[in-house]
Amino acid sequence: MKVLVTVKPVADHNTPASEWMALQKKERANVNFIPNEFDLIAVEQALRLRDSGADDICLVSVTTEEHLPHLRTALAMGADRGIVVDPGQRHLDWHQIAVALKFVVEKEKPDIVLMGKQATDDDACQVASMLAGMLDWPQATFVSRMDVAPAGDQVTVERETDDGIDVLRVTLPAVISCDLRLNEPRYPTLPNLMRSRKIPLEVYQYSQLPVPDEPNVEVDSYELPLGRNGVITYAADADELVAILKERKLID
Amino acid sequence: MKILVAIDVHETRTKPAARAAIRFAQDVVQKTSGSFSIALVGNRINEAVAAVNGFGAEAIYLLDDPQLAGHLAQPTTTALVHLQRQHNFNLLVAPDSTTARDYLPRLAGVLSAGMCRGVCEAVTRPEGLCYKRNVFSGMVTRWERITSPLQIVSVEATAVGEPRKGTDAEAIPLKLNLPSDARTTFIETRRAHSQRPDLAVAECVVGAGRGIKSAEAMSKVEELTDKLGAALGATRAVVDAGWMPNEYQIGQTGKSIAPKLYLAIGISGAVQHVAGIRAARTIVAVNKDAEAPLLRVADIAVIGDLGKIVPRMLELL
Ligand SMILES: Cc1cc2nc3c(=O)[nH]c(=O)nc-3n(C[C@H](O)[C@H](O)[C@H](O)COP(=O)(O)OP(=O)(O)OC[C@H]3O[C@@H](n4cnc5c(N)ncnc54)[C@H](O)[C@@H]3O)c2cc1C
Ligand SMILES: Nc1ncnc2c1ncn2[C@@H]1O[C@H](COP(=O)(O)O)[C@@H](O)[C@H]1O
Repeated sequence: MKVLVTVKPVADHNTPASEWMALQKKERANVNFIPNEFDLIAVEQALRLRDSGADDICLVSVTTEEHLPHLRTALAMGADRGIVVDPGQRHLDWHQIAVALKFVVEKEKPDIVLMGKQATDDDACQVASMLAGMLDWPQATFVSRMDVAPAGDQVTVERETDDGIDVLRVTLPAVISCDLRLNEPRYPTLPNLMRSRKIPLEVYQYSQLPVPDEPNVEVDSYELPLGRNGVITYAADADELVAILKERKLID
Repeated sequence: MKILVAIDVHETRTKPAARAAIRFAQDVVQKTSGSFSIALVGNRINEAVAAVNGFGAEAIYLLDDPQLAGHLAQPTTTALVHLQRQHNFNLLVAPDSTTARDYLPRLAGVLSAGMCRGVCEAVTRPEGLCYKRNVFSGMVTRWERITSPLQIVSVEATAVGEPRKGTDAEAIPLKLNLPSDARTTFIETRRAHSQRPDLAVAECVVGAGRGIKSAEAMSKVEELTDKLGAALGATRAVVDAGWMPNEYQIGQTGKSIAPKLYLAIGISGAVQHVAGIRAARTIVAVNKDAEAPLLRVADIAVIGDLGKIVPRMLELL
């Protein structure tokens, strides 16, 4: 079974908003990158598929060269190889990223594509379903449990929804997006970290692929959200709290 | 602009967030002129027409088919592609939900359309409509513009008001006869039926955090929730620990809320949690730590042991 796992490097969530905005505007910024947390869950899930016959686990990232170390961290969890699509100086939108991933899928012909539910930097939550639509493949998003049928041709999944859990069965090949409670990603071992440095990465230039030149979504501008008023009333105890809530007519 | 508002119908009912999507369409119509129609999507959906009628839509299309019962992304996409090919809308709007997050980007992929998720507001600028979104755990606001001929947006319900009254529209059933796609089978939905109000629209929400360390303390918090007629929510830490089901999670990777009163009990206030509570009118923190980050966004705080504060509140209410 061939498994393709998508990995996006994102800014660490301790990055101050101002630094993150500078980074987006391609200004000088002091930002620590990490692989998107949901993507590490996808990598872990791929590794757990080894028992179900996964013998080729390939990671793919649409990202610039400077972020290759983050792909290597994910590789060191135990994947076999990696592919990079380098956008160069362009800022790609989600549609362009999905088309680039589609190119890799069509070339690699995996049985399953494991992705994260959302990238925690711009919270788009759309590349997985978009890719599935472009490929006309079945999809299961926000998956918190996944079982491969013994024949290896179908997976039964539980997906987290606003109302509870939906259970679906999808026939492979399919796109699966992983939610937080699917698994606990392992930490890379030192030997694997060493080994991952030697894994060759296949690199494509975005500009040389049959992909759209222009994005469908452009960024107009950035702002810092209005803060909340910041004035806080301290209640000494439960009695005073209840009195304040009643006085402000927040409770009867 | 010719707009379509796509609304998913679950067991004959629309979700409260659907009203925000209608209001958003009304606002865009006002800014750009044009009109909007509504598509109801599901199975046996006639009864839901009343919930979306009387807001000035041009037409209400009924995408009613047994294949649409489970709101799977594939048949939902096929049905909406069919409608889009007939009418050539410029803008497709849906309420942001796990249903829309599942099918809407698929539709965008099939139609090569640009999409923005969780839009709070639209403004007209010389270059066209701009959509406001919260990104990076809600710490940054970004204005985005869609350049493809078809634009797709999902609406963040907590940021948009109620729809304005308008004329009634005719309900137009569509014959879809969707083929079944054997590649995906819907097996079941598992949900805990709760008597409590829906988190998304509750006027009062009690949020449970990891500071609630015992089953006894948790039952007191639940008692308080019910006494206030509130909805119950939780942090990721509480859901991860298996104390509450996933649909209770509030935050960047859970739900957004906009109650008049949010009582956060034993919650530190990590940015990912705060991302979901920014629209709350009054935030109350009950925490033993006077330095907890939540105090930077809270309006009222009690510093102390929740094990003592919650039972005392119960005595007083
Ligand atoms: C990618 C990603 C996505 C995430 N998404 C979300 C999300 O959507 N929603 C979310 O909530 N989190 C999310 N998180 C997790 C988030 O970072 C925090 O870990 C989480 O919100 C902490 O939950 P908590 O406040 O319950 O627990 P803690 O941070 O452990 O806080 C417990 C609080 O309880 C207080 N306390 C302890 N004992 C008492 C007592 N006896 N009386 C009074 N107070 C007491 C403590 O002082 C502390 O402030 C996400 C994290 C990541 C990395
Ligand atoms: N640039 C990228 N390279 C590789 N995978 C990506 C990229 N962008 C998004 N993805 C994948 O798509 C998932 C959802 O991202 P998004 O739709 O941007 O929230 C992520 O968790 C990744 O698995």
